[in-house]
Amino acid sequence: MPLRFPSLAFFEALQREMRTERERFARLGFFDTTFGIRVLPEGAGAAAEFVLAFEVFDCVRVAEGLAGVETDFIAEGSFSAWREMLDNIHALGAADAAHSFNTLTHFGERLSLRYEDPDRHDKAYRFAESIQEFFDLSSRLAFDYLDGTRPPASREPLRRTAT
Amino acid sequence: MSYLSTTDFAEDQAFVDRFRRTMRGDLELSWMDVPREEAACRPQNERRGLTFRDLDVGSYGFTEMPERIRQNRSFAPRGAVLPPGLPDLQAEVNRKSEVWAYNIEGYYEEAMTRQWNATTDIPWDELQRTELPEEIGKAYAQLLTFLTEVEMIATDVPAKWMGSLNADFFEVKNFIATQAMDEARHTEIFRKRALSTGYGLMRASAHNEFNLKFLRDADTFAEASLALHLQAEGMVLTLFRFSEYISPTEGDKKLFRLVMQDEARHVGYGMQHLKWVLDHFPERRALIHDHLDEAENFVFGGGYATEVVEPFIILSGKGLKKEQIAEGVRITNAFQLKQIEEYFERLAKCGLPERRERSRLWKLVDMNREAIGNLAPAPGLQA
Repeated sequence: MPLRFPSLAFFEALQREMRTERERFARLGFFDTTFGIRVLPEGAGAAAEFVLAFEVFDCVRVAEGLAGVETDFIAEGSFSAWREMLDNIHALGAADAAHSFNTLTHFGERLSLRYEDPDRHDKAYRFAESIQEFFDLSSRLAFDYLDGTRPPASREPLRRTAT
Repeated sequence: MSYLSTTDFAEDQAFVDRFRRTMRGDLELSWMDVPREEAACRPQNERRGLTFRDLDVGSYGFTEMPERIRQNRSFAPRGAVLPPGLPDLQAEVNRKSEVWAYNIEGYYEEAMTRQWNATTDIPWDELQRTELPEEIGKAYAQLLTFLTEVEMIATDVPAKWMGSLNADFFEVKNFIATQAMDEARHTEIFRKRALSTGYGLMRASAHNEFNLKFLRDADTFAEASLALHLQAEGMVLTLFRFSEYISPTEGDKKLFRLVMQDEARHVGYGMQHLKWVLDHFPERRALIHDHLDEAENFVFGGGYATEVVEPFIILSGKGLKKEQIAEGVRITNAFQLKQIEEYFERLAKCGLPERRERSRLWKLVDMNREAIGNLAPAPGLQA
């Protein structure tokens, strides 16, 4: 059965990819935050919700549902907004200038960050590069969307690091 | 050489005799049996390593540290036995609530693991292959000039205070040492980026420098921290996020993500410090408001000066055509509103909700709201 976005299996696959890149994430430093992902349906229906918990250099927990879960912030957007980000990453190997996580969430135009506590919300920025590189790992996944379509095939990957 | 020893050791017979006996093998060993607290600290989380939090035991730790440090006036590390005759270094800050922050030890460990390198972590070759249109390149170079100017003073301020804190506050001293390094790296990266755009550094800002002088010349560490960590860096954090948003290339986006990480950590310290002050030294509240009154005046003058705002308008509108400027004004307005809203949010969370009503920055918010048009502020700010 193919990997599908949004699903718990999709985020578990990202968690596995992160574990194969321990050295890269260790170099970025301690990464201690728990945040939520909320994918809103285009029409009627319930949102798909997931929680991602990071500790030290690892994604230590991936689970479905946000009810009763304490998070630093929740990244929320329509399915099409998430799809746009993932398509871009899949095609280029990493988000381009128009599709970085900060750019998409900054004014809440495509994705938005929901939060109660501004100090905890700031973890989205304290760990900005780790979060971006985590999402960029989705370029390695073979997956499809709910409607059975797939992200575009990979083109030449962007190179964001000097070494 | 203003400080001279009260002893000429080479002429002090007792000192010389003792040294000679030691070097003949006649050891005194009085230091070996001094009564002290033994410690064998271990990592609570082995994946994280041995942290300052793991060392928070007994007299070595920070939990039992008193509010006023009356005993240690020297360089002696906290928990060491203090022999008679240690010099009084006359540290300017000896009260814990003037410097301490909840989770200070955590911010330090995070800072140490999240260091990066402006020379090797940015794809400079890729950036140099990207040619920017002239008006974008010049606007970006002006923004980078402003940021280089800002980050230099942000290096000087923590460095200036480091030696003024009592040695028992070493977690804070270590943290602000990492901050000085972070800010030095920011000065480095903004200068390097400015000099790699093809345009070089543009014009310094007098208005901005009045603000920077105010930050540097704070009378107390608590005032310096309030204005630097919370007010200035809080606003600069929003500015870095906005700069990432309007950055023209992926390499520039990475640059701003890396600097925003450091800045957000400094803001975290500032917030947790202000919370600590209000919890443990509540009589400071009036002084805090007085200092913010003046800090906000400087912010308005410095942060909204022509040479600071116009590059944002050009970069966010992506050019100098009439419709591009209109779009740039709209987006820059939204940024300024967000910047001020986030500043008040942070202060409220620290225990200063009344700042919203007292602050004159509301005038600016009202001006921005009138001008903002249809671009909605971030939904997270609407609550």
